[in-house]
Amino acid sequence: MDPAILLAGVTKTFGTTKAVCNLDLCVPRGALYGFIGPNGAGKTTSIRMMMAILFPDVGELTVLGHSSARDAKNRIGYLPEERGVYRRMRVGAFLTYMARLKDVPEAEVGSRVKGSLDRVGLLGTERKRCDELSKGMQQKVQLAAAIVHAPALLILDEPFSGLDPVSRRQLRDLILEEHRRGATVLFSTHVMPQAEEICQHVVMIHEGRKVLDEPLATIRRRYDPRTIRFDPLHPEIDPTLALARVAGVERVDRVDGGFDVRLALGTEPGSAIQRITAAVAPARIEIARPRLEDVFIQIVSEGGAADRTAVTARDPLVPAAAR
Amino acid sequence: MRKVVLVAAREFLTTVTTRGFIIGLLIVPVAIGLSAIVAPRLFRPRDYAVHGQIAVIDQTGRVAQELRRTISAAHIAERRAALARLSLSAVPEEIQQLAGRRGVAVAGGDGMIARVLGGVPDLRLIERAPTADVREEKPWLFSSENPKPLALAVIHPDAIAPSTDGAYGTYDLYVAASLDDRIENQIHQSLREAIVNARIKLRGLDPAQVDEMVRVGPVPSVRVTKTEERRSLGVFNRVLPFVFAALLMLGVMMGGQALLTSTIEEKSSRVMEVLLSAVSPLELMAGKILGQMGVALVALGLYVSLGIVLLLSFALLGLLNGWLVLYLLLFFLISYLVVGSLMAAVGAAVSELSEAQTLMTPIVLIVVLPMLLAVPITTDPNSRLAMVMSFLPPVNTFGMLLRMTSSAPPPWWQVWLSIGVGLGSAFLAIWFAARVFQIGLLMYGNPPNYATLIRWVRQT
Repeated sequence: MDPAILLAGVTKTFGTTKAVCNLDLCVPRGALYGFIGPNGAGKTTSIRMMMAILFPDVGELTVLGHSSARDAKNRIGYLPEERGVYRRMRVGAFLTYMARLKDVPEAEVGSRVKGSLDRVGLLGTERKRCDELSKGMQQKVQLAAAIVHAPALLILDEPFSGLDPVSRRQLRDLILEEHRRGATVLFSTHVMPQAEEICQHVVMIHEGRKVLDEPLATIRRRYDPRTIRFDPLHPEIDPTLALARVAGVERVDRVDGGFDVRLALGTEPGSAIQRITAAVAPARIEIARPRLEDVFIQIVSEGGAADRTAVTARDPLVPAAAR
Repeated sequence: MRKVVLVAAREFLTTVTTRGFIIGLLIVPVAIGLSAIVAPRLFRPRDYAVHGQIAVIDQTGRVAQELRRTISAAHIAERRAALARLSLSAVPEEIQQLAGRRGVAVAGGDGMIARVLGGVPDLRLIERAPTADVREEKPWLFSSENPKPLALAVIHPDAIAPSTDGAYGTYDLYVAASLDDRIENQIHQSLREAIVNARIKLRGLDPAQVDEMVRVGPVPSVRVTKTEERRSLGVFNRVLPFVFAALLMLGVMMGGQALLTSTIEEKSSRVMEVLLSAVSPLELMAGKILGQMGVALVALGLYVSLGIVLLLSFALLGLLNGWLVLYLLLFFLISYLVVGSLMAAVGAAVSELSEAQTLMTPIVLIVVLPMLLAVPITTDPNSRLAMVMSFLPPVNTFGMLLRMTSSAPPPWWQVWLSIGVGLGSAFLAIWFAARVFQIGLLMYGNPPNYATLIRWVRQT
């Protein structure tokens, strides 16, 4: 089956700024992808190219089997980064308009509008004017507009920004629900824990270049676990010296009442844990779980140069020396 | 196409159901109606019923006697009523009847014209000796006598009998500093009438008979074509081009302005990107242009219908060539496509209405320039200026419509050549706007100038 989104060597330049550079991306149908990166990394430009709102200078692009998203607009739900609704329009009328633009059968428009409002927790607001709603509620109206036609592909650009914790949880559930329905979901965020919480697969972009494209499980598995979190059984005794003397330990840092034990390159974590436990009695000892944020910082600090991107993209978590 | 229709329908309904549109639509006829009622009252002359004295030094010895009659209140009232009758005799019967019902034809009565002109001046004539020194009499004009001294007339000795060279003499008139122009005119008319009457009497003729003999009433002409004969009315012919050009301008500006503001609103409220996820920029632009075209057509249809009803009620519809209404529609569509597309492009290029002003100036000029040149174009519809204006895009539609509604319309091939030029410029405007629209929609920040817009067009 064709992938839902396929980008091959896509480049977009604004004046002298390369917003996106030689981006390859393949999002299979039914996948739940996180598109992450810091502000200004090129996420929105990439998404706008996927949506055929912008066009690449170089490269090929396929969305739902079409060479342009314009031919598949009715099957795509899109929540742009720039939030906006018709301020003076009533919520129901706005969603009805969007549903009709997305070719929802006329007989189903009413029920689809109510259904989508129900799913974002805004049932009963149909008669309200959009400018009577709070900013967060307007964002939910937009989200309702993105799902009103039960899209095959849902693209959400920074969907969590501006939402309170309850709404964020609601949105997370809605994304998972859409994914379970069979929709392909791609959402961008610069808040990496959000991606970590939901995604199956993560694409990381930095300065317009892809620096990571892996399933989340692989990232966690392949992340070089060089840090061991250690809480001593007897906190009154300072274990720093004893831990530092353990073979394979490079550095010991005091963190939040415990210790982060940094291992030297090539040290096998399992045997290191055994040696540490033998040296100092632990109350808790575990391999530190890799966070996307750490992964990103590691990738960026290791390089970021154009010629290294391909290498890091293939095998981003293996330390440079090991490679 | 379905999406274009959906966008157009939303655009149309959103605009025509706003209070602003309904008020804006009604404000023109209401303003015209109100001005018809209020203007005569506002412009009503100040108290015209002046009481004052006029001194005359009659060096002929025959004019003062005539002047006493021609300057009397009754005679001035009769003279004004005769003038009103003369003016009305040129207009169609229906208006004459209406005016008659309002009392215009009642000479010296309290008819409409009499009311508009105000009361009749009460002027008392004082005769000075024919040998009186003018220099000594002049200070009387600023004396504090009651009734107030208004004027001093000096009738030349040869005013009623030609001098040796065969030429008639005239008179001098010295007036008080604060004399109203209208009183001064009445005094001049009375003096001229008195002198002419004295001359006629000197020849042994009856002034009333001579007056009858030299008077020929105005007659409306009949315009004859191969297919029909239409009454022709000078005032109507002079006003028609301006009415048609104003209707064209009103329709184009109404639609174009609404297009500009709705595009800017969509951009500033950031709903644009949501729309672009459902429709292409071209579909969006086409829908918006069509929707606002519908809005402008509603306004134009209402005003044209009101005009036709007005003409019908005065049985003047025959004065209007029906084809002109169809051409108005055609020229509106062309002009709207040009101006509307450019306004849509400007709306897409800027983020706030205030940023649009600089870019709007040349577009407004397109509409305003022909109106500024309307007088010379309609005065001589086949002049070089009129020809240039009727073929020069994008103002040609306005120029040609002015010529077509003038008293000397151009041949049909010129009309259709201008329509062809208009369609070409509309195509170019849409082409330009479409390119600017695509890029401008998501551009925020510094407002662009025309150089930037042209760069965008090249980029697209």
